[in-house]
Amino acid sequence: MKGNKLVVGVFPFLDDTLKAIEQAKSLGLEYRVYSPFASHEIEEATLPARSPVGLFTLAGALSGLVGGFGLAIATSLDWPLRVSAKDIVSIPGFVVIGFECTILLGALFTFAAIFHFCRLPDIFPKLGYHPRFSDDRFGVVVGCNKDQLEDLKKLMTEAGAEEVEVRNGI
Amino acid sequence: MKASNMHPDVDYKQVGDTVLEMLEPPKAGWYLLLSICLGLVLIGAFSWANQIIVGIGMAGKSIPIGWGAYITNFVFWVGIAHSGTLISAVLYLFRARFRMSIYRLAEAMTVFAVLTAGLFPLIHLGRPWFFYWLMPYPNQMALWPNFKSPLLWDVFAVSTYLTVSTLFFIVGLIPDIAVARSRAKTTFRKMLYGVTSLGWSGSHSQWKHYMAAYLFFAALATPLVISVHSVVSWDFAISIVPGWHATIFPPYFVAGAIFSGVAMVITLIIPLRAVFGLHALVRPVHFDAMSKLILLTSGILFYAYLTEFYIAWFSNNPFERYQFWFRPFGDYALAFWGMVFCNCIFPLTLWYKPLRTNIAFLFVLSIFINIGMWLERFNIIFTSLAREYLPSGWGGYNFSWTDIGITVGAFGWFGTWMLLFIKFFPAVAITEIKEIMPAPRRSEAAAEGHH
Repeated sequence: MKGNKLVVGVFPFLDDTLKAIEQAKSLGLEYRVYSPFASHEIEEATLPARSPVGLFTLAGALSGLVGGFGLAIATSLDWPLRVSAKDIVSIPGFVVIGFECTILLGALFTFAAIFHFCRLPDIFPKLGYHPRFSDDRFGVVVGCNKDQLEDLKKLMTEAGAEEVEVRNGI
Repeated sequence: MKASNMHPDVDYKQVGDTVLEMLEPPKAGWYLLLSICLGLVLIGAFSWANQIIVGIGMAGKSIPIGWGAYITNFVFWVGIAHSGTLISAVLYLFRARFRMSIYRLAEAMTVFAVLTAGLFPLIHLGRPWFFYWLMPYPNQMALWPNFKSPLLWDVFAVSTYLTVSTLFFIVGLIPDIAVARSRAKTTFRKMLYGVTSLGWSGSHSQWKHYMAAYLFFAALATPLVISVHSVVSWDFAISIVPGWHATIFPPYFVAGAIFSGVAMVITLIIPLRAVFGLHALVRPVHFDAMSKLILLTSGILFYAYLTEFYIAWFSNNPFERYQFWFRPFGDYALAFWGMVFCNCIFPLTLWYKPLRTNIAFLFVLSIFINIGMWLERFNIIFTSLAREYLPSGWGGYNFSWTDIGITVGAFGWFGTWMLLFIKFFPAVAITEIKEIMPAPRRSEAAAEGHH
């Protein structure tokens, strides 16, 4: 986050939080929003673009589909043994394997996507985070320079913050 | 703070307080239950060890009933495992709001029930240490497993189900563990939640990708739920044993699995709600919704039972016809009529609305359904194998103490995991309950103040 100072606004109301986000955006400042649950309104205000997680899921699912069918076909051809008068490469029988591998790898890739895009595990101190933001308060953390500090504090209070804190940035 | 219709008596803070209170140090009752469960596990472990040392003959398996109590237990536990992912994934996709209060417990039930189910094919093997022969791995004999066999499909389906359910369960837990982390008092708990929450902070970008991933998980898990029990049913339906060889099996098994799983969720959540005072989070409206789900699946099951008889008659196949005469009037008639009563007749009481929210009644009904579903698997496996084609090959089954010891041990194993889970991790979803509560707004607060 740009700037050597962080202004942390603690908000009890969602509409006030959205107001603070809009103001930080209009000033062109970098910000981070914490919320105790997933809110579509915050999502639309901050990151309206589609998440790329689905591409991971698709890549995993396709790999699983190819891998599942590939495994069943390749191993059947490796030791060709006719069972129950079925073809050596009996596609209907392999559909289950292909399907299960599609789901398995799709899920594993999605799990990896969460780690990648959510930056987990996160062992570093979280910018401006407070445990209340996991409980019942919204937090808006804005990065700024020393000369913008007073204006930003005022802006947060006017937006409806019940508490405004200043911390050192990184 | 105004709350939604689903949880009108609590605000955000109270949701966290109520759920996290469950993580407080356990009382004597919890230790007593854990001791009972561990005792059952010991009985099961002793029985299995004895079977391994003496031989598979310790089980009551016979010719022709080679799939005895163990496979009955396997299908029963896989069925129990189903409802968790159903409640979680399918109801998530349908945006069913009653899901939020019960899905965590249902998911935990799924994971632990699959862990229990997975033991039975191993126990069923005479030499369980060779279980890895089922896996496709390069070996010195250059042999591969038969990918056309439903038993191998089962290995892939159940292990995929265990993996995906566990991942889905862990993903749902992460934000809630972060809530527990912020309130942890002891060093052990701080470390436990610090590590397992993975440093989750709930920033806007984390929520964004998290919610997208959650949706994809739900979309993957939904067809998986349907596929897994269909594959389990194909273990039977692909064979040519009278009573098994039927195309109705996949939908019939899936409906049965949902039915038994919802019943097990009710069995588990009622005592939990009473002991931990979860009345504000798990309300009569939730029980009403679960009762309707039971009513629906019970109806499907009833219809499937009747269809089986109709198909046997309509097929004009003497073996099939005899099988369906043997079930209600043969050696195992008691199990058949017990199944019909528990799964078809007793649940009909739920058409009466007051009973759908009568907690004591629902608890008793859920136990009956669990028994009924065990009997259903018993009926499918035992009666079909006892009366195959040639009368010279007919036979019976004698339950041995090893069968019984391992069966009760499985309940102890499942109970142990559940008890440990509810004391160490949030058993009710905190963040998702908050998500369906109306968000606090200054405009609304001002309007309320004005009135």
